[in-house]
Amino acid sequence: MSSSATSSVALGGGSAEASASKNTSKRPKYSRFTQQELPACKPILTPKWVILTFLISGVVFIPLGVICLFASQGVTEIVDRYDTDCIPLSSRDNKVRYIQGLEDKRCNRTIMVTKTMKNPVYIYYQLENFYQNHRRYVKSRQDGQLRGPKDEHDVKSCAPEDTIGGEPIVPCGLVAWSLFNDTYDFSRNNEKIPVNKKGISWKSDRESKFGKNVFPKNFQKGSPIGGKSLDQHVPLSEQEDLIVWMRTAALPIFRKLYGKIDTDLQAGDTIKVLLQNNYNTYSFNGKKKLVLSTTSWLGGRNDFLGIAYLTVGSICLFLAFFFSVLYLAKPRQLGDPSYLSWNRSAGGGR
Amino acid sequence: MVRSGSFHVDSSSASHRRTPSRTVTLGHIQPQAPSYRTVYCNDRESNQPVRFKGNSISTTKYNVFTFLPKGLFEQFRRIANIYFLGISCLSMTPISPVSPITNVAPLSMVLLVSLIKEAFEDWKRFQNDMSINNSTVEILQDQQWISIPWRKLQVGDIVKIKKDGFFPADILFLSSTNADGICYVETANLDGETNLKIRKALERTWDYLVPEKAYEFKGEIQCEQPNNSLYTFTGNLVAQKQTLPLSPDQLLLRGCSLRNTEYIVGAVVFTGHETKVMMNAMNAPSKRSTLEKKLDKLIITIFCVLVTMCLIGAIGCSIVTDREDKYLGLHKSDWEYRNGLMIGFFTFFTLVTLFSSIIPISLYVSIEMIKFIQSTQFINRDLNMYHAETNTPASARTSNLNEELGQVEYIFSDKTGTLTRNLMEFFKCSIGGISYGCGVTEIERGIAQRHGLKVQEEQRSTGAIREKGFNFDDPRLMRGAWRNEPNPDLCKELFRCLAICHTVLPEGDESPEKIVYQAASPDEAALVTAAKNFGFFFYRRTPTMVHVRESHVEKMGKIQDVAYEILNVLEFNSTRKRQSVVCRFPDGRLVLYCKGADNVIFERLGNGTDDIRKVTREHLEQFGSSGLRTLCLAYKDLNPETYDSWNEKFIQAKSALRDREKKLDEVAELIEKDLTLIGSTAIEDKLQEGVPTCIETLSRAGIKIWVLTGDKMETAINIAYACNLINNEMKQFVISSETDAIREAEERGDQVEIARVIKEEVKKELKKSLEEAQHSLNTVAGPKLSLVIDGKCLMYALDPSLRVMLLSLSLNCTSVVCCRVSPLQKAQVTSLVRKGAQKITLSIGDGANDVSMIQAAHVGIGISGMEGMQAVMASDFAIAQFRFLTDLLLVHGRWSYLRICKVVMYFFYKNLTFTLTQFWFTFRTGFSGQRFYDDWFQSLFNVVFTALPVIVLGLFEKDVSASLSKRYPELRASMRSRPKVPKK
Repeated sequence: MSSSATSSVALGGGSAEASASKNTSKRPKYSRFTQQELPACKPILTPKWVILTFLISGVVFIPLGVICLFASQGVTEIVDRYDTDCIPLSSRDNKVRYIQGLEDKRCNRTIMVTKTMKNPVYIYYQLENFYQNHRRYVKSRQDGQLRGPKDEHDVKSCAPEDTIGGEPIVPCGLVAWSLFNDTYDFSRNNEKIPVNKKGISWKSDRESKFGKNVFPKNFQKGSPIGGKSLDQHVPLSEQEDLIVWMRTAALPIFRKLYGKIDTDLQAGDTIKVLLQNNYNTYSFNGKKKLVLSTTSWLGGRNDFLGIAYLTVGSICLFLAFFFSVLYLAKPRQLGDPSYLSWNRSAGGGR
Repeated sequence: MVRSGSFHVDSSSASHRRTPSRTVTLGHIQPQAPSYRTVYCNDRESNQPVRFKGNSISTTKYNVFTFLPKGLFEQFRRIANIYFLGISCLSMTPISPVSPITNVAPLSMVLLVSLIKEAFEDWKRFQNDMSINNSTVEILQDQQWISIPWRKLQVGDIVKIKKDGFFPADILFLSSTNADGICYVETANLDGETNLKIRKALERTWDYLVPEKAYEFKGEIQCEQPNNSLYTFTGNLVAQKQTLPLSPDQLLLRGCSLRNTEYIVGAVVFTGHETKVMMNAMNAPSKRSTLEKKLDKLIITIFCVLVTMCLIGAIGCSIVTDREDKYLGLHKSDWEYRNGLMIGFFTFFTLVTLFSSIIPISLYVSIEMIKFIQSTQFINRDLNMYHAETNTPASARTSNLNEELGQVEYIFSDKTGTLTRNLMEFFKCSIGGISYGCGVTEIERGIAQRHGLKVQEEQRSTGAIREKGFNFDDPRLMRGAWRNEPNPDLCKELFRCLAICHTVLPEGDESPEKIVYQAASPDEAALVTAAKNFGFFFYRRTPTMVHVRESHVEKMGKIQDVAYEILNVLEFNSTRKRQSVVCRFPDGRLVLYCKGADNVIFERLGNGTDDIRKVTREHLEQFGSSGLRTLCLAYKDLNPETYDSWNEKFIQAKSALRDREKKLDEVAELIEKDLTLIGSTAIEDKLQEGVPTCIETLSRAGIKIWVLTGDKMETAINIAYACNLINNEMKQFVISSETDAIREAEERGDQVEIARVIKEEVKKELKKSLEEAQHSLNTVAGPKLSLVIDGKCLMYALDPSLRVMLLSLSLNCTSVVCCRVSPLQKAQVTSLVRKGAQKITLSIGDGANDVSMIQAAHVGIGISGMEGMQAVMASDFAIAQFRFLTDLLLVHGRWSYLRICKVVMYFFYKNLTFTLTQFWFTFRTGFSGQRFYDDWFQSLFNVVFTALPVIVLGLFEKDVSASLSKRYPELRASMRSRPKVPKK
């Protein structure tokens, strides 16, 4: 039976090569790659290996966790939430009107130092429910304009804080516009503690991202006013509060460095904070906190790493123990073919 | 030729791009009868008005101008690319949180890689075309031969082709340097058959050999329009006011080459894309793997996940943003922030852009690359699948189906040439009711072994001859001993019949040791070889004569050369199932020799010799049950008057322009009757090496093997026994049309009645078997089941009303043997299981009759390295031996499946983690759609940073070694039962 109609036939081409290669051997050349014989290893998870691996991880992780936890515990941290407390009782039912008002918003806070804090003591402000990572917010800035005066007029991406009366705002955009403007003054026993506000920003930001010859222009001239105003005679590279602020936070709860205290704070010290409560977080139910903290080699206070290490380490140790018991109580010969699926199903009867 | 060097093999001409159809068509395509083309030979001016196509061919898909638009169009037919195009467009708009580069970069990288690949492949095709178009041929111009490139050849030109040269177009054969106007052609490029074919020019045109003479030739060829039927050609040559009929014998096809002939002269009939071989160039039907289809579903699911995520984000955003977030400057309201609905709407698209990476853009490209390397480097170069004897390595003709090999559950195998060697050896014969030949077949030995009988060592009589094609051992017939047998005359007729009635070509030296027989089928060669060994040595064929060197005919030891004039050849075809030759002896005796299938011959026997008929039938059954292939031989003496009147009809039929084949068959029927039975021959068809072991391994792997064969039921069952498919512990269901009830109905002869009876019987049998099968399956440790069904019953069982029953019965059986099935039925059975049972099927076969089956299955495998390329051309993989299936399925298929599954999972998990992080972050940004990753990181994540690990996994991952997976084939079964791709 012929089925020539369906068969596909080689084209006229290629025929010359075909007959030329007729006499040569078509035996494939041997290579480990093509024969799929490249050296390889596949660890077999024998009980000993598994138990040993868990044991070692447990033994390594638990001390690590302890060390991390100690480091974290060694950090002293004082957190003081003041957003509600700094509103006079009479204005508490309409906080937004108060904060937008013109009256003096000074506020006194007292902080007790429970443990000695070695210098430098870092001062942070912590904002909560503030979506500094909001897409509309994040993209409302112009890095070129911050870097040099050349791009001053390039404010396209800064909307809605781009121009005022046709003149470009420097620095433009929502991020700069909403610059945090609460201020803190610290005193101990009526003696002022100096706050060092130099070097609180990233060096690379100061040196290359914010220009030495860029000066604020038309900043906070519109209404409403978003936050802090900037000195028109200080270049952006020295406006460290702005630089810190412009490095937007990744999460809606964030801390930003306000300054450093270069003296030790002794245990039992009472620190008075004279606070200028200007920043409006009330309209979006944001919280404001003042944080004083020392650091360790691991950074600020964060128990997570230590706890994670401890948890995983203990689970490993437990599993090592569990598998050892299982192995001793009910040992099974390695490579027993009767456990193979087809042997098992045959045994079960079909 | 075999273009496996492409990612998908959708190689071939775009200009002939037909929609790849899955339907299986069989048989010839009818030539377009009503329209003719008229070609004026040697007269370019006269041919001018018709505007025949030129001879240059182009198989390229693109040209310089169409490359970009067409290439891009092809790329964007892929849904994933469209998706990413959409996302890229979105990312250009201000609502996008990411810069356009994030989506444009990977898309353009993917497109670039695909386009470069396309361009490279097309360039290779172009160069190939150019080298073909520029090869030279000599044509007649102004009485001399002038060399011109092929592409300038025109219809009607007179060309000269030298020895071993290729024909540049379809050429009408006019004259040859050989005597009698014949030439030999090799058609290996067309059908893969390496034996030479004879072409014969019309006697009137023999003289046009030298340029001076050929210049005078002014003929007019009227012939059919170009078509793709390789084996038909009808037309007339009008020369010197005479009309001469043309047949395929005078047509030399493009792609063939001239052999054993110094040179020939011919007239060009079809050129370029109108040649038969180019009309046949067809796209292999592109098959997609099941896994790929699942992948599409998975991608749709993932897309739904994406939409859900975006909806959640959009709703969240419209709720959260609807507040006095002073720092967002909403008081200076942009229009999109006017109300919550608006915000949600825009945020939705923002998020779609942001989360677009959840759909892995490079997934398809990576998988294609992996599969490509797997097939070209691993499968094609596996030394375990290299067959040294035939010098054939395995070849993956498509790289789409690698992992499909790992999921195959049903194998449909052809018998001849696949399970068996197709190495035919003359083994036994029966002459005038006496059986000769005392060998024991492999199958008999196998049966005996299973019965626990001891197999006696083969005792060969001294001086028994053994050569390729001849394994006969019986001193009663050798060296003229047949003269002393009861029927020496019948013996003589048998030997003559073997020596004369065939279409074999002798090649090489005319001595019994050195001669090589070129035959269309190994059976024929074996029969002629047998005649040679019996002392009837066929040594020369001219178009009209067959020369036989006969020994011991008149008296012992006398050798004489006898030339028989061949008057007519009634050729073999599958409907006739027989072949006849009318020849005239030197003494004037007119004889018709006929050989063919037993039932066909028995139908046409004359009266008398009933006892011989009965005994021969018994012998035939014996031979059949030993797994031998049988043929019946008969002859008939003709008287000159009847012959002459018949011959006139024959010549008329032969020159008919329409339905020539049908008319020839009818005429043949007139003379092939009242035959005298001589006897029968039995040829052993040896099993391929390692078939029983391979089958056992595969069935342990949970693969069910069906044998579909055109052979007799007894032969099929025996082969099944020999290769371990059936054994005596199995319960056998046999549904045969050879039952009394059916035979009775057949004798009554009413076609409608026969059909009804058979259908009833089949239904009854099926019902009974199914009940028994279900009963035995319910009992614990019941015997395994097997089903044997023949083609006639199958025809009715495939009827829609019985199909379900057949399917459920056969699915319960471990092995199924279908015998006497036609190629179409093979395909039907395959698609029955494929569609009805939703199982992955594989078909393996070697011949043209397996093409339909190969194309119908999920995976088609062709046996290469033998004669006949048609199966290979239609297949997805080609291997040289059946036993290589073990490696292909258990090693390559299994690993490919494992690897591709892991790659897919790797991709989805990697992209899910990547995107879900982003999704989580969205909650922490007030659903604003702020991005978490850097633009460049996101754009290069898939196409660069994580591209290599996946590919490495896809190439090197192994769970167990190759030797282990072959030793424990059950591993494959256990892998298949566990879904590897998570269903979401």
